[in-house]
Amino acid sequence: MTNSTSGVATRELAFDVREVSYRYNQVPALSWLSMHVHRGERVALLGANGSGKSTMLRLLAGLCFPEHGEISFLGESLTEQRLQDEEFFFSFRRRVGLVFQNADVQLFCPSVFDELAFGPLQLRWPAPRIRERVEEVLRAMDIAHLQDRAPHRLSGGEKKRVALASVLVLDPEVLLLDEPSGALDPSSQARIVDFLISCGNGSKTVITSTHDMDTLEDIADRCYVFANGRVVGAGTPLEILHDVELLERAKLIRPHAHVHAHGDGGVQPHPHVHRYEG
Amino acid sequence: MHIPDGYLSPSTCAGLAAAAAPFWYVALKRVKSALHARLIPLISLFAAFSFVIMMFNLPLPGGTTGHAVGMGVAAIVLGPWASILAISIALTIQAVFFGDGGITALGANCFNMAIIGSLVGYATYRLAAWRAGIGSARRVVAAGLAGYTAINVAALCAAIEFGIQPLLFHDASGTPLYAPYPLRIAIPAMMLGHLTLAGLAELVISTGMVAYLQRTDPGLLRLTAPDAPPADEPIRPAGGTIRLPTARKLWLAVAALLILTPLGILAVGSAWGEWSARDFADPRVRREIAAASRNLAPPPAAPRGLERLSSIWTAPLSRYAPSFIRGAGFGYLVSAMVGVGLIIVLALLLNSLLALRPPAVGRPRRKGFVEKTARGLLEATGQALFAEDMAATSGFLQHLDPRVKLIGIGALIAAAVAVHRLWVLAGILALGVVLALVSHIPIRLLTARVWLAVLAFTGIIALPAIFLTPGAAIYRLPLLEWPVTQQGLRTAGFLVLRAETAATLSTLLILSTLWTRLLRALRYFRAPVVLVAILGMTYRYMFLFLATARDMFESRETRMVGVLEPADRRRLAAASAGVLLGKTLQVSGEVHMAMQARGFRGEIRLLDELQMRPHDWLRLAAFVCAATLAVWLGR
Repeated sequence: MTNSTSGVATRELAFDVREVSYRYNQVPALSWLSMHVHRGERVALLGANGSGKSTMLRLLAGLCFPEHGEISFLGESLTEQRLQDEEFFFSFRRRVGLVFQNADVQLFCPSVFDELAFGPLQLRWPAPRIRERVEEVLRAMDIAHLQDRAPHRLSGGEKKRVALASVLVLDPEVLLLDEPSGALDPSSQARIVDFLISCGNGSKTVITSTHDMDTLEDIADRCYVFANGRVVGAGTPLEILHDVELLERAKLIRPHAHVHAHGDGGVQPHPHVHRYEG
Repeated sequence: MHIPDGYLSPSTCAGLAAAAAPFWYVALKRVKSALHARLIPLISLFAAFSFVIMMFNLPLPGGTTGHAVGMGVAAIVLGPWASILAISIALTIQAVFFGDGGITALGANCFNMAIIGSLVGYATYRLAAWRAGIGSARRVVAAGLAGYTAINVAALCAAIEFGIQPLLFHDASGTPLYAPYPLRIAIPAMMLGHLTLAGLAELVISTGMVAYLQRTDPGLLRLTAPDAPPADEPIRPAGGTIRLPTARKLWLAVAALLILTPLGILAVGSAWGEWSARDFADPRVRREIAAASRNLAPPPAAPRGLERLSSIWTAPLSRYAPSFIRGAGFGYLVSAMVGVGLIIVLALLLNSLLALRPPAVGRPRRKGFVEKTARGLLEATGQALFAEDMAATSGFLQHLDPRVKLIGIGALIAAAVAVHRLWVLAGILALGVVLALVSHIPIRLLTARVWLAVLAFTGIIALPAIFLTPGAAIYRLPLLEWPVTQQGLRTAGFLVLRAETAATLSTLLILSTLWTRLLRALRYFRAPVVLVAILGMTYRYMFLFLATARDMFESRETRMVGVLEPADRRRLAAASAGVLLGKTLQVSGEVHMAMQARGFRGEIRLLDELQMRPHDWLRLAAFVCAATLAVWLGR
């Protein structure tokens, strides 16, 4: 571990995951997985599709519970029984927000305004405060003009922004993001990345699952590499990006052949792997 | 089977809505309990699924197509109570957002299809499947039987509701004010279509779905199979085709079911007091008819058309047939069935004529049902999007508070259904046209989408009433000598004008209302929060599933070479429905998580809408006054 983590090592742990296993429809999704996230840290979970990133985020959000092992949030064990307690449930939901990979799943209300109001309503905020806060977030996320729109009238990028806004409206201290920039056009992608960069001042704990290596350095202080439901590597973005073997093993890059065109019109087949030079 | 406005009297509608109320109450109570928190997204998504399934064109033997309601599947997966809610919501969305099925008749439609359909479907499935294993073939057969029985019992209920209208509701001259056909015609007419086409469609969907779930997610069948052996299901390899009954087996099944049902139809007899040709000769019956017609003496002999009709069938049989078949009652029944069959053929012909379009350039081959279904799905989405665009423009109705509009137009539709005078009915229709003009809703659109469409459907249904309604003959058709009765003309006029007026008004409501606002405003009426939430979620996911289904059919269309065999087409339709069901269940599970992640614990909370302003109340009062005036003038 290098400098960037030594600074936060003294900080409190937001999440501590110890030897967690989880099966989904009898198929193992996570096996004996351990990881930890400090408060105010930005952590990226890297991995190919089906490596267990999304499952991990759902466990961290208290939506599923491990078969073995333990997850604690700010020192308190996160179990199904614990979440039955209304007071803990509401304080946990208020502090931890999850943005789903599929925005269609996240946007279940008839209009954008209702979508943003859903969280605060369930947490029993008073109505005037909800209206005020929803309008504030609508403006901040630059989606005020969409407030009466139905989800089926939004573009992919707009949907993602509304999904993010619907979580940010509660101002959670921990943000869990499942592939926030997947399948977005460059401009929508840049907006999300800008937002994640803005979280870099330690004000929020952000855990992002991604397989996008280009923006890794901007959005994370530290990474975990997932493969087949296990952590196969951890480190700063630079360390990870230089570990070609690790990335290959995690199926995040593959040796490939491509063709260079030369000035004389000839072409030359050229097998190689890309290296990331910081 | 979606009963439009104007076919049932207001008291019938109110009675059926009242009969449905306790079922809804119990269903809501059950869903509200925190234990069933997962059911809220599941019901919403199932309702959206059922809505989309109703748009699938299922190829049936004989080159025809049919639509399923999906109540068999809903009852099997969700259990009877949640199924009642899911189908009711789907029907509400069809009536209120798409104008399919009447707004005043919503209670009746929910009673028949959602409540009776779900309960009968569930009971049949439980009885037929008994304790068979989750993966057994018996469950598939039971599912088919459940779907088939459910839709037919629902259709029988609708037929009885139609059939009692002329008996109970007529004016001083004996003119039936609502559906003009007595039970003896209404029952065979409804059952003919449902015992064959619609029943088959439901059967195909139900068997296909259960077979699909057995392979992919057998756990979902556990809810309604508590007695099934708990043995671990062997996980079968995914893929492969779903086995569906062949056309021959389907026909055999229908034949067997058909044999069982005419007995029921025959048993109904003339106990309800409709008039067969024979009854006209019986003095006692004549007195009854006279009393029912408020002392207007019935013609001394049966209208000759009626007599002629009833002899069409008995004549060739008379010598060899057993006596009950030679009876005029049976003859009348069978002739009515033949007549209705002809009407259906006519309607289908007219439909295909209206649907004729120039073939797309470069794609001369007819792709049949895949293309037709894809187009239907696209049209439904387009129609909804068009309505949303229209509602966003400026105009009188568009500017009204959605609550005012819902109650106001609802009151006018109720008035149109309640009045007993044709000119008052015409007046309400004229008011509708004025409202359309001040709201900048093009009359051309209303003509094409409402007036002609309703005329084609209700007009054809009303046509035979001109000849079949007993009363004073004012004209005889040359050659056939069928009498056109004054009462017949008036009853046909009532039926068509009522249906036109109600459809016009509900189209105005659809085209001028932003549903996102209305759904929020519904809370103001103290509508149960769960219901409002489910309704909103259904409306939202309906679009997602419409798009998913369309993508499925379109991608299939681009890969299709040659024409599919009917059995393949059925398999394809059932498989598509299966994929959609899989998607429904997956999205439902994830939506539940997304709700939980934002603080949902089973008890849903919604924002209350702002108060109504004084001028909103004023406009509401104007609507209600107009409706009351119409009812008073037309009483």
